Amino acid sequence: MGLPARLLVLLALGLFSVAVYAQERYEVDLAEIEKEIGKAADKPYAVGGFFEFQPTLLGIDRDSAFSRVRFFRRDPGSLFDQYNFRLRLEGSYKKDIFAAFFRSDTFVRNDFQGWDEDTKLFEAFVSAKPDPGFTLEAGKKITKWGKGYAWNPVSFIDRAKNPEDPTEALEGSTLMTADLIRSFDGPLKTAALSTLLLPVYEHVNAKFGELNNVNFAAKTYLLLYDTDIDFMVLTGSSRTTRYGFDFARNLTTNFEVHGEWALINNQKTRVIDRQGRMSTREAEAISYLLGLRYLTELETTYIVEYYRNGSGFTRAELKDFFDFAGASYRTFRATGDDSGLRRAQQLAEGAYGRPNAGQHYLYFRVSQKEPFDILYFTPAFTSIVNLTDASLTIIPELAYSPMTNLELRFRTVFLLGKERTDYGEKQNDYRVELRVRYHFGL
Amino acid sequence: MNHLFLGLFLLLFVARPAYGADGTAILKRVDANLQPESFESYRKLINIEPNGAKREFLLYTLKKGHDKIVSLFLSPASEKGRATLRLGDNMWLYIPDVGRAIRITSLQSVVGGVFNNADIMRLDYNVEYDVRGLEEKGNEYVLELKAKTGAVAYDRLKMWVDKKIVIPTKIECYAATGLLIKTLYFKEMKPFDDGILRPSVNETDSPLYKGYQSIIVYARIKKRVVPDEVFTLEFLSKVETIR
Repeated sequence: MGLPARLLVLLALGLFSVAVYAQERYEVDLAEIEKEIGKAADKPYAVGGFFEFQPTLLGIDRDSAFSRVRFFRRDPGSLFDQYNFRLRLEGSYKKDIFAAFFRSDTFVRNDFQGWDEDTKLFEAFVSAKPDPGFTLEAGKKITKWGKGYAWNPVSFIDRAKNPEDPTEALEGSTLMTADLIRSFDGPLKTAALSTLLLPVYEHVNAKFGELNNVNFAAKTYLLLYDTDIDFMVLTGSSRTTRYGFDFARNLTTNFEVHGEWALINNQKTRVIDRQGRMSTREAEAISYLLGLRYLTELETTYIVEYYRNGSGFTRAELKDFFDFAGASYRTFRATGDDSGLRRAQQLAEGAYGRPNAGQHYLYFRVSQKEPFDILYFTPAFTSIVNLTDASLTIIPELAYSPMTNLELRFRTVFLLGKERTDYGEKQNDYRVELRVRYHFGL
Repeated sequence: MNHLFLGLFLLLFVARPAYGADGTAILKRVDANLQPESFESYRKLINIEPNGAKREFLLYTLKKGHDKIVSLFLSPASEKGRATLRLGDNMWLYIPDVGRAIRITSLQSVVGGVFNNADIMRLDYNVEYDVRGLEEKGNEYVLELKAKTGAVAYDRLKMWVDKKIVIPTKIECYAATGLLIKTLYFKEMKPFDDGILRPSVNETDSPLYKGYQSIIVYARIKKRVVPDEVFTLEFLSKVETIR
């Protein structure tokens, strides 16, 4: 075991041990608490965020398409360590009917390739709310569409989330929104309409699609017969028009079902064959998701989702890409010509490199809240299966919060699959990571 | 003979025990005395572990009518911005990082420890429970309450109510199996915004969490009526702006 691995184990053992405190009966100091509440209640601003340290050990699959494409210039060996640091800052201010919010993210990484830093403004917007039923917002923000846990096919504007870590914050888009909410008595309890304008220019949302256009999107939300229902549309010239629908409902107090359905008109997909010839497939893409969340009496939570990715590649198309990457690698080894690998690298940074590039996936997660009477401790097990080629990832995980504002998460990600399968050709065989996150607020 | 049937009929179907109506009236007074129908408040939740370690949460809460309640976490930093919404039996949790609200259940706990979501987003007792028994013991009424539906977190409650001020002093919460889940104690009476004396401290212990203590401290309870639109899924991310 190398030094990094030993370090990880020591950190994991050390940090998961329970701190010992002096035993004493807690006495309520009402005056002190009221003073604290008064201070918090009257403050018009908030500043906070978290600092994160995540050492990671990566077991590289050196024969996989993605490791060859990424590391053909500089081989990291079969194992390397990575040290990730993150600073997330958030702030808000409100006055009368106006409010402002920002969230920034600074990420620093050190590994065999040296240091790398990336700072992004995730969100920064101002809002005016003349009435609780009417809000205007402008700036960079996320739109939060969809009911799925791991995937959101109806999320037409936000960046795709990582299904291995679906609860992480994402970078937003620059837009203007107007939200209208109305409440009623009867089976229809709430109706809401969100409309938004999304400009796409050289320096604004440039990666969204075709430049020099202003796109329009709208979402209608209904709480009807205790069911959440949304209808959404995105239209404009940056991307083809798309329509969506989602729902969520508790069938019983501990059993929730949800689903999404999306139609994308004239979806263009760039496909490469095994000889490296590019072609464009254009068709309607229908994506959908069906999911459930179930909580047992012992507080075990199950989440299951099936995802049909209408924009994904068929098994044959993925195989062609893997074959092309393999052939390009052999050419590079034999002749030093890296043109094929550079093309494959470009594709791997695009649609072929998405976390779920295929068409049929199953997500499964089971988590147990506070087993063995250990407060703030949650072990979990997650698996994502590509149903087309039976490759999969499995993720055992331990999460623990030993003290206020400190969160620890230890997880291992195994990627399993035969040659020329989705997970079988990913960069890693496994990944071991410990995430230490400390939240702060002023 | 007819008189005998009539007597039996009256005995079985008409002569109902007095506790039903009286108990319901007492329960409604308990609800009115514990909190106004529509109000805002600040609450501090404190979880104390057997080793003395404690975890504190500060919440801002708005309630309207019988079935609408929204709470926003102000601290600690790790929870800040989380918001919960309850509309009758529907409950949602909004997590700022996730950016969207997810449906949750009354038995889950968004803060961990002894408190569950039903404790944090409690509706009036008379909305969720029927009175099935009423006893008078010295200076107290003892009410036996039964959940109106299976969606309620605790199947049965036993409530000790101070006769003079009609405020509960103790409530035992039972599962359908008869298992005692937790006991709530109401303490530290003090006048709030409307001049009514209310308990400002609510202590909880549970045989399921031996040695753990949970406390809710209420402050700044004020009558406030806000539009229904505040109690909607679409507004959950904006609760902070109307505080």
